[in-house]
Amino acid sequence: MNCPRLKEWLEERYDLEGMKRLAKSKLIPEHRYDLWYYTGGITLFLFIIQFLTGMLLAFYYVPHIDFAHKSIIEIVTKLNMGWFFRSLHHWGAQLTIVFLFIHLFGTLLLKSYRKPRELVWVTGFILLGISIFFGLSGYLLLWDERAFAAVRVATGGAGAFPFIGGFIKAFLRGSMDVTGDTLLRFYAFHVAILPILTLGLIGLHILLVQHHGMSVPLSLQAEKRREIPFFPNVFYKDLAIWLVITGVLVTLTVFLPPEIGVKADPLAPPPENVKPEWYFLFLMETLKLFPGVILGMNGETIAIMLVAAAILFFFLIPFFDRKSALGEKSPLFTWIGVIYLLYFLTMTAVGFLS
Amino acid sequence: MKLKYSLITRRTFLNTLFGGWLVAFFSGTFFALMKFAFPTLGKEPDFVVLNRKDFTDLANNSIKRFPWGGTVGFYFKKADGAILALKGVCTHMECNVDYKPAEKRFYCPCHQGWFDENGKNIKGPPPKPLEIFVITEEGDKLIIAKKGVKVELPKA
Repeated sequence: MNCPRLKEWLEERYDLEGMKRLAKSKLIPEHRYDLWYYTGGITLFLFIIQFLTGMLLAFYYVPHIDFAHKSIIEIVTKLNMGWFFRSLHHWGAQLTIVFLFIHLFGTLLLKSYRKPRELVWVTGFILLGISIFFGLSGYLLLWDERAFAAVRVATGGAGAFPFIGGFIKAFLRGSMDVTGDTLLRFYAFHVAILPILTLGLIGLHILLVQHHGMSVPLSLQAEKRREIPFFPNVFYKDLAIWLVITGVLVTLTVFLPPEIGVKADPLAPPPENVKPEWYFLFLMETLKLFPGVILGMNGETIAIMLVAAAILFFFLIPFFDRKSALGEKSPLFTWIGVIYLLYFLTMTAVGFLS
Repeated sequence: MKLKYSLITRRTFLNTLFGGWLVAFFSGTFFALMKFAFPTLGKEPDFVVLNRKDFTDLANNSIKRFPWGGTVGFYFKKADGAILALKGVCTHMECNVDYKPAEKRFYCPCHQGWFDENGKNIKGPPPKPLEIFVITEEGDKLIIAKKGVKVELPKA
């Protein structure tokens, strides 16, 4: 495509050559851990897919307690390609969370969060939290038995916080219990509030990454580095990987369409051995560990407080890890990272198997 | 005493004025937004009125569910024929519990909590027993109330 007049028109108004030079000057370090750089790009790609499929589904979904469940069944049974896009949105969400966790633990273990990139970690961590809330609010929209139980537990758990718990619970539920008000509220979170926040934070996250450049692991900093241009070398690699991801995603979408459970009934007990989405399993198993009463205090409150404290510590790791901030090796925080990872993996596996 | 110079500059004065105005404006806006976002919460019912004949021919060792606000209550006939009404919501994480007639126990599938047939928490994470309601019968009405609540039926 060559449109000299358009090019000229733009050239007169904007510094196109300057932008080209800027794009050409972007260099990416090349080393034996550089595969981790691509996990962020994969997540970005998956986010784009989620946005697109989500917009399509919003044309047909009805966020009302009487019609929500039925409208999803109609999407997958009656609409052209409805089964495909609903399944794609489901599997896109699953893979997004998988790659967010891979991206997170890669960043953690390579200590890419260290000074001066603390805010990159902070924005990324908030994005992970938002994505998990995306998942929770998204699967309540099905309004089936499992989602109903999961949202009761999750919002009830938030209610176990001392002092502010009641407010959070009321804000999330929109009423005393999980009702049609909760469904509408979660719909608003899922299609309006969270997407806006996500767009802003992704923008900020990427802007910060551009500002700082790619982090090089501590162990490789002394070595002589090779750098390759982002355009076109790394960009083409990104595209190639995205193509592979698309293949995996579409394969899962076509061969493993997600089920739709029985419509939620506030009077019925949840199905036997009910389990939340896999990224909540470690929380579920943690909750099961605590007895009802510990030293005369409510075990649930203690469990929620401990989990919150552990997540808060995780969030603040860049500010606690003084050694890596000074550019020294920091084996203590490697071990902390490994412990977090092992706990997450073990408890998730226990949740699957129990 | 008249000062020769003002203690605050014109700029400080204006910054404080406009800054204060902005803070006042945004806190008012925020307050109004939050007020709107937070729902006016309903209240858990003090009692519910049911039709007595719906519950008379219940078999021993089984439950019948009735709506209790946005959740569920159980009308429960024990194996020995004694009657009990209780709230069918787990005291751990608010999942609905289920009755297992074979074990004569209540069971919560969310985190494997168990309650005995009197609603007492016996196994797993639940911290408290199930809430027991008071049953009164008035003509063809069955009134199920929270403990210690005075039931006043509307005169009709």
